[in-house]
Amino acid sequence: MLARAHTFTIEGLQTRHVRVELDIRPGLPGFAIVGLADAAVREARERVRAAILNSGYEFPARRITANLAPGDVPKAGPGLDLALACAVLAASGQLPRERLESHALFGELALDGEVRACQGTLAVAQATQEAGLGTLVLAGACAREAKLVDGIDVAVAERLASAVRVLGGGRGDPLPERRPQEASPNGSTGRGLAGSAPDLGDVRGQHHAVRALVIAAAGGHNSLLSGPPGTGKTMLAQRLGSILPPLSRPEAIEVTRIQSITGGLAGELATRRPFRAPHHSITTAGLVGGARRGWVGEVVLAHHGVLFLDELSEFARPTLEALRQPLEDGLVAIVRARHSAIYPARFMLIAATNPCPCGWAGAADRCRCSETDLARYRRRMSGPLLDRIDLLTHLELDAMHDLKLAPLATSKAARERVTDARERQAARLRDDSVTVNAHMDTRTLKRHVTLEDKGEEMLRKARERGMLSARGQHRVLRVARTVADLNGSARVRARDVGAALALRPEAALAGSRVA
Amino acid sequence: MSATGPGQGVPGACEQCLRRSWLLGELSASLDYRCNDRDRLIALLTLGDEELIQAVAGRRKGEMKARYALFDPQQLRWAGDVEAVCRHDRRFPRSLAGPGSPPMLNVAGGLERLAGLTAAPVVAIVGSRRATDYGIEMAKCLARGLAACGVTVTSGVTDGIAVAAHAGALEASGRTVSVISGGLDVARPAGRRSLCERLSRSGCAVAELPSGCPTRRWAQAASERTVAGLAGLTVVVEADEGPGELACAKMARALGRQVAAVPGRVTSPSSRGTHALLMGGAHLIRGPQDALELLYGMDAPRPSPQRQSRPELEPGLKATLEQVGAGRDTPEKLTRAGADAWEVLVSLSELELMGLLARGDGGRYVPRDPLARGGSSTG
Repeated sequence: MLARAHTFTIEGLQTRHVRVELDIRPGLPGFAIVGLADAAVREARERVRAAILNSGYEFPARRITANLAPGDVPKAGPGLDLALACAVLAASGQLPRERLESHALFGELALDGEVRACQGTLAVAQATQEAGLGTLVLAGACAREAKLVDGIDVAVAERLASAVRVLGGGRGDPLPERRPQEASPNGSTGRGLAGSAPDLGDVRGQHHAVRALVIAAAGGHNSLLSGPPGTGKTMLAQRLGSILPPLSRPEAIEVTRIQSITGGLAGELATRRPFRAPHHSITTAGLVGGARRGWVGEVVLAHHGVLFLDELSEFARPTLEALRQPLEDGLVAIVRARHSAIYPARFMLIAATNPCPCGWAGAADRCRCSETDLARYRRRMSGPLLDRIDLLTHLELDAMHDLKLAPLATSKAARERVTDARERQAARLRDDSVTVNAHMDTRTLKRHVTLEDKGEEMLRKARERGMLSARGQHRVLRVARTVADLNGSARVRARDVGAALALRPEAALAGSRVA
Repeated sequence: MSATGPGQGVPGACEQCLRRSWLLGELSASLDYRCNDRDRLIALLTLGDEELIQAVAGRRKGEMKARYALFDPQQLRWAGDVEAVCRHDRRFPRSLAGPGSPPMLNVAGGLERLAGLTAAPVVAIVGSRRATDYGIEMAKCLARGLAACGVTVTSGVTDGIAVAAHAGALEASGRTVSVISGGLDVARPAGRRSLCERLSRSGCAVAELPSGCPTRRWAQAASERTVAGLAGLTVVVEADEGPGELACAKMARALGRQVAAVPGRVTSPSSRGTHALLMGGAHLIRGPQDALELLYGMDAPRPSPQRQSRPELEPGLKATLEQVGAGRDTPEKLTRAGADAWEVLVSLSELELMGLLARGDGGRYVPRDPLARGGSSTG
């Protein structure tokens, strides 16, 4: 007897539709799975057998062959258990076969017959809808996530018996109570992010840096914070997430999908933007992905969010060089000998660094670095990465002395300004493929940024003084556009250009002071 | 005197002086052991050739004496356009005629050019290698102003003040004499390649050691006596109190030349040395004008006439410039002093575009010129 069931396997961020074909015929009792199954899938034999028996069904004592089609796609993960078990039951006549054809099944089985949730539910639900299957049967714990996708029915099966009931035409189990929100479901790593979100109001003083951070958030500009140790670089960067506008629904679906595949159960639609803060010992593969088939890197996990690189100068240079493509194109193409994949990676980069090896450059009596030390230190960071950074903010120590200073703004107020500015940008850029100023290409830039004579004059002078490269000019224009958006101005005025010039990263970190 | 040299133009050095240069190159390693005591090093360098071998060569005395006797100027390696000039030639800088100065120089850039450069008034701009932004900008500003009035600027090509002085003179299309401590073909630091290239277009580079001789610590100290010797006025821009940082001023004093210093903040260790000089009677330098008055007296030419005709700044910009000059040199400090945040950024940018401010380390802004002075001295 032959039975067919539908399920999915996940590779990288892609879901692949898997047809389980299961045949039972007389012969020596055994259970063989063919079709490039990985260890987790091969172990499914034991789980399926025990779950079927413990749920009160009969496990046929005959020769069982399961084929996972298509045969050239590697199948991974325990999510195929449920489909295998139902196919066994259908092939042995304990379950009507017809309905199995129109249902997708996704879940891991416990030995006692319980259905467990698996990673990547949202992606599976989307694939179910694309494959034209009407109903997705899965565990209760991830049902809410699957319900985010329109156009399919989600049937909850807490146990194998419930799945059998659903496939027999009955109702699924009720949706479980919403669990109390666990800390930090959004795949955040790093410090200070679990629990209550840090607020910009915690930052005392450093008004200049806070202002620059708001500009960066408003235009999605990559920025670099530079300053002596203990001035609050990390503190500021961690508060960036709290002033970014909430995710739009399509963005949220994308983020949830990535988090659900990589970070386990998302459970809910992601609301906060991801904030990834990898340690500086990270490898290239860890940052962009490609360590093995399907492995995604930090840049992908930071999609639609923030990638924070603390102590930028400590990162290995090749690792940072690998950031070029994602920063430029918003995606990362991984090509390895046995696999290749393209992942989305549209993130905002925020980096922090000391200005020199001892950290005190500019403070005359404290910095003891020689010119050579400085040159060497700057060389480690300079080049293509700094070329993609729009804003440079210097933090200084004495601004911190007075911790009783009033904060410049709370996160809420700042977020409102940022959201306003972003709405203005979105309205202006609605015909282009981008949503924020930072992503405008030169053509878009030309169309949307026209300067007054005085502004042109300033740019010309900056060029003549050698303060700006060609790319640097575009950066200044993008930032000036954002400053104008923040101030609610439709035109880019000369003063916006002036402010953008003051924040430009040119010259301040590259090369020597003198020649 | 037999003719030697690279074979272009009239040879400028006699065999005896070439031999001296060769000897210093040979004894370079041995001399390095004696550079901890600068006075003794300078005294050693005034010795005659035989005595110098006797004093320095140690176990190699016999060997060195033999080789000294057999010296043939044709063996010397000449790199590129390097020529030699010695004190017996009319093109040798007159200011180096005194005792204790090097008897012979290797010159890149042409002997006639060197003669022209040293015929004009020469000012040495020297100071610490670990200069602050303030020191760098002051050195540049002095060099700019002096070079614009036709004064030749001289200094080493070491980090900090020295190299800033050259860069400043270049900004005013001025001409400089760079004093290099090793051989002219090897001793230029790789990081200064482009600066040296630009300097060589209109200026000269001089060195006491022959080509092919790597730079050493003693040679650095010895090159300072060349700097002090070339210049009629030595200006120390920034220096800590160490003997190394003030060596050039000391030598200039010993030669009876004028010594001047730029004041800094009394809290800054990088200005301790210059303040000590000022206490000791050095002239006070507040800008190029002060240096020009020292050189020419009261009827000194005005530096950079185009700056004089600069239109008056807007009050807002002027206030910002004054604040930066007074030490509120970052947007954060300016804003806390009561200015509007956006205005501060805009006026800093405008001042930078006008060339009145430069960016320093750590996001600080540095004035590129001292504030215009009122009162008697400006006349």
